[in-house]
Amino acid sequence: MKLAVLFSGGKDSYLALQYASVDHKISCLLTLESEKEDSWMFHTPAIEWTKLQAKAMEIDHLTSKTSGIKEEELGDLRSIIESAISKYSIEGIVTGALASVYQSTRIQKICNDLGLWCFNPLWQMPQNQLLQELLSNNIESIITGIAAEPFDDNWLGRPIDSECIDDLISLESKYRINPAGEGGELESFVLSAPLFHKSIRIVESNKHYSNFSGRLEIKEAFLA
Amino acid sequence: MTILIISTCSEKLSEREFVTPISRIIGEHAYKILHYTECTEENISEFGKILICGTSLQDNFYQKDIDQFKMILINFEKPILGICSGMQIVCTIFEDKIIKNLEIGMVNIETLEKNSLCKGKFQAYSIHNYSVGNLVYFTILAQSETSIQVIKHKTKDIFGVSFHPEVRNESIIRNFLSI
Repeated sequence: MKLAVLFSGGKDSYLALQYASVDHKISCLLTLESEKEDSWMFHTPAIEWTKLQAKAMEIDHLTSKTSGIKEEELGDLRSIIESAISKYSIEGIVTGALASVYQSTRIQKICNDLGLWCFNPLWQMPQNQLLQELLSNNIESIITGIAAEPFDDNWLGRPIDSECIDDLISLESKYRINPAGEGGELESFVLSAPLFHKSIRIVESNKHYSNFSGRLEIKEAFLA
Repeated sequence: MTILIISTCSEKLSEREFVTPISRIIGEHAYKILHYTECTEENISEFGKILICGTSLQDNFYQKDIDQFKMILINFEKPILGICSGMQIVCTIFEDKIIKNLEIGMVNIETLEKNSLCKGKFQAYSIHNYSVGNLVYFTILAQSETSIQVIKHKTKDIFGVSFHPEVRNESIIRNFLSI
């Protein structure tokens, strides 16, 4: 089956892509760049660098801007999916949805309207297991967004390695955070993974942080 | 006794979404997963209970194989729970009918009759293009405004749920395991 992946550049959409690529042809990645930082549907930090990830994986990439306004952005999502149907004759969509009924319901409705299959290979996966899957699949990612107590600016740019995962799991009970960030507590960006032909090296970045909320702005990066 | 989880997914990738979450919920019990094309009347007879999982909205391939399901399941006398497409399957093997019925998202459900799986009013996650209607062999245990949601065979321990209990209603699967 020819599939398009809704790709934010983070660990979840990459892992979904990797699972889907086992038995299917990934025709393209689809990325919506939200003009609002607190989009209901779409992950935002470092989204402009997904083009470098697509290049690293040698997969075609369709991007589009979205207002980020609740429900309006669904029209933008539908449009980019229609572009993928027209350009690549895709038969289905893959998402990294884990537990959000809000997100999955809306994507399922669009796919059903357009006669597309919808695959959510991470659906209902326990968050600790998802983090362990990153390690066992040699997926190197960093934290690019934080939005919960007790995250301070030291978390921005931190590699999601075994030590980081231990720390996230230990914070789960004390602060009631979702260790993989399913509640929006964390956003991530994949630098290197099995489907990458080259790795991404970040040369320069800036941290923007205030009161347990922040993002890593990637200023310069290249493929190596 | 070991529980059999039957996949109705025609695409392997869909099993991560519709079968794996069920296996996680029943993980403390011994279980085995088989695709329905691997099942025979003989090889399912060793299992103590059967769960028939749902599949993707676009996946209607199982509907072409109702005769095969009938051959496999009609003489199985232990408890069966059919989820979404699984509910359609358990109905059709007894000649009750599949009908068009689109539901995507959370639905409000009201229990109509005291039963082993659910009680009171609750919300559940549905994604289906088909449901069942005009039941002769099954009793309706719960329903939403637009469709039948929970059923039980009138004389056997065969249940069906139209929604996905693996999302926000895990207790329904655990209740079935306790039967």
